[in-house]
Order: sequence, then structure tokens, then C-alpha cells
Amino acid sequence: MTRLVEIPSSFDDRTFDQFAGGFAAAWADGERLLFDAHAADWASPYGLVGLLAAGQAAGSGGREKPLLTAPTASEVVSYWSRAGFFRAASELFEIHGKVPKAKPLDDSDVLLPVTAVKAAEDVHEVVSHIQQRATAILTSELGVDPKATMGFAMALSEACQNIVEHAGTGGWVAVQSYHWRRRLAKRVVVIAVADAGVGFRHSLAPTQATRFGTRWGDAAALEAALIQGVSRFRDPGRGQGLKGIRNYVSRWDGKISIRSGTARLSIVPSWDDDVPLTDGLSAFPGAQVLIIIPEQGPRKP
Amino acid sequence: MIQHIDVHAVLRRSVSGAYTDLVTRPTGRAVREGIEQAMADASIARIDFSGVGCIDYSCADEIVAKLLRERLRVLLLSGLTDGHREAIEPVLAGHGLAVLLERADGTLEPLGPRESAEALLEDLIARRLATRTPGGDFHLTAA
Repeated sequence: MTRLVEIPSSFDDRTFDQFAGGFAAAWADGERLLFDAHAADWASPYGLVGLLAAGQAAGSGGREKPLLTAPTASEVVSYWSRAGFFRAASELFEIHGKVPKAKPLDDSDVLLPVTAVKAAEDVHEVVSHIQQRATAILTSELGVDPKATMGFAMALSEACQNIVEHAGTGGWVAVQSYHWRRRLAKRVVVIAVADAGVGFRHSLAPTQATRFGTRWGDAAALEAALIQGVSRFRDPGRGQGLKGIRNYVSRWDGKISIRSGTARLSIVPSWDDDVPLTDGLSAFPGAQVLIIIPEQGPRKP
Repeated sequence: MIQHIDVHAVLRRSVSGAYTDLVTRPTGRAVREGIEQAMADASIARIDFSGVGCIDYSCADEIVAKLLRERLRVLLLSGLTDGHREAIEPVLAGHGLAVLLERADGTLEPLGPRESAEALLEDLIARRLATRTPGGDFHLTAA
């Protein structure tokens, strides 16, 4: 029997928990999964890399490769293709539906197409690729001080390294710039990173579980990593990466949100109505990181 | 004697590919080991970052902080961009360590928490490795 997992028509960080709920219920049965994206009309980078993580988990442990129905709307499937989604998805899913061939990247909004991150070399490639394009977007369109554009590459590097160092499996990263008309009335640059690895709780448990006692869980693990700068390594220099991302994001009035297991912890800027901590969510494997840097200055009408 | 290290050259020797960025722990570790080999017994080193693109926190920690904690008494940094400083300064603050930035005109600027930076300058002056000019700038006495 095949179990259906619906992809929300607008698939982003706000609808991800709805998707995760459907995924958790279907995955628990051990049946083959069918991810149904035929009615999708939009997906953010976070949605795309999160879907890949779900596909990775769904096909793990000797299970049959999951199925994926591609969006039927031509502009949607074309965008997913340009964003590099299908190139990565073809390894994880049996894809059904018309998928256009990915054209060479001339889309100025896709700063980094969906890219697999498995090893340190992949992080080098990501950082090399992003710098020139991101610098132009950050300074000319977002009004970020040119001196601070290096911080963006650092944040991206550290977010990707979390996969290499802690996930125990590969993951994906995507970077895009777009105009957030409804939510912020500004341009934003978004970094989305996802894996279906062991997650923060499992990674930190050997060194942190005792310290937190009965509070220990996904939320406490995220708090330890993002707020306290704790790492699973005992080396005193470890744990700087997420702390550095947090500082960079705060300086540019941005947002960082990390979902792992059943919890999500966010550093929430004044322009966003998200809550800092949500616990008791539907379980989802690994970790999913969202970083948003908005255009600087007042909102535009 | 101050040992001069060209980090970009060490990076090219240490890591496969033509990377110009100091990112990831393994890269930082490889570059630090390359620097340690090049330094021999020196306790003061001038590390030149010219030609290096991005540095992330992991590499700043692996290279700058670990060299100071485990190997060197004094570390002079040159060729730093503002972007490099964004990675290095939080790492120094986290460890309570200080280094000296050698500007293009030869003057020295301490980087790191104030107490550590002042102690470093006092130590250099006491050891006659640096002097203070009447204008208040600090210079090295040895090249």
C-alpha cells in the first residue's frame, strides 16, 4: 500500500508543520510514500530542501524509493526545475509528471540552486559560488553595507557545516532572493538548509542531556546550540558557528529559525510575528535551518 | 626573528583545489598544521591573509585561536579585510585572546578583549619587541 503525503499548495516555513504532520503520520506505517505536489503553486527554498529531506528519510532503512508527483502548473514546475530541485530529487524519488530540463542558471533570484552538501569540499563550492552573486544582491538590492557581505558567506558556510559535522548524513542548501510583498513589503535573501540526519537532540545528548535533566528534549537541544553556543565537541572553540550566525542575523534585523525533531526555535525580528519557541510539533527527521536577511531601511508601499 | 607566513600559499598547498576561502574545520586544521610546519621553533609569527577570500568562524578558531592557545606567544596578522575581522574578532573575544593587526603603515592595532589586548602590548614593550611613538602609535622594533 502507498501512503499519500500532500504538499501544501503554498509550501514554505509557515506551512511546513502541516506537511510534517502529514509526513509523520504516513511514515509511521512503514509503507511506501507518495508525495503529492501536483497542486503546488509555490514553494520557498525552505519548502524545497525540506521536501528533499523528507524524501531522503522516506527512502531510508531499506524502504522503497518514495514517489513524487510534480506540480502540474507549467510555471511552477519550471521554477522548481530552475531552482535545481529536480536534479537533487531524481536521486531520492520516483518522479511522475512532466519535468522540464533544467536550463543554465540565468535566474537572478536563484543565488544558489538546491545543492547537495555532504562534505567539507561541498561547503567550499557553495561559498565560492555564492560570493559574487550574493554581494551584488546584498549591496545593490538589500542595502547591506558592502563590508558585511562577507558575513553572509560566513553564515552560509557555518549553516552548511552543521550538516557535515553533526547530521551524520548529507543535506541540501538553497539561496534565493525575492520580493516578500505580503509578508514584509521588502526584498529578502533567504538561506534554507535541511537534512534528515540525527537532529540536534541526538547530536548533543551525550554532553548535554544530564545538564538539562528532565527538561532535555528537542527544544532544550536547540536552546543549547543556538542560544548557549554549545557543541557536542568538548573543544572550547566549538559552537561559535551558530552563535556567529545569530549575531550576523541580529545585526541586519534578520531571522534565523531552526526546526529539529518536534521543536522550532527562532530569533524573531520585530517585522515577523513568529513565536520564539514552538514545542510539541509533529516529529520530522534531522534539522531544517532558515535564515532571512531583509532589505535595509523602511518598508516600501 | 619573526616568521612570515603567507596563508594563501599555505591554503593552496594544504587543500586540494584552487580555493581562496578559509572555510570549514578540516580546511582550518590543514592550514594550521601547514603554518606550524613552516614556523619551526618561532614563538612570534606574522600571518599574512592577503589573497584570502572569506574566513568563517570555524577556520578563525582552528587557525588563530589554536595557534595562540597551543603554539605561539605573539601573533601578528596582516592583510586583513573588514570581512576577515568579522570572523576573527568574535573568536578572540570568545577565548579571551588578543592578537596584533599590523597595518600597511606598520602601526599595530590590538584585536581582542581590551584587557588581553593591553596585556599583550605591555608584554611586547617590556620585551622591547614594540615601542610606542610620541603620537601614541605602536610599532614593532624587530622586522
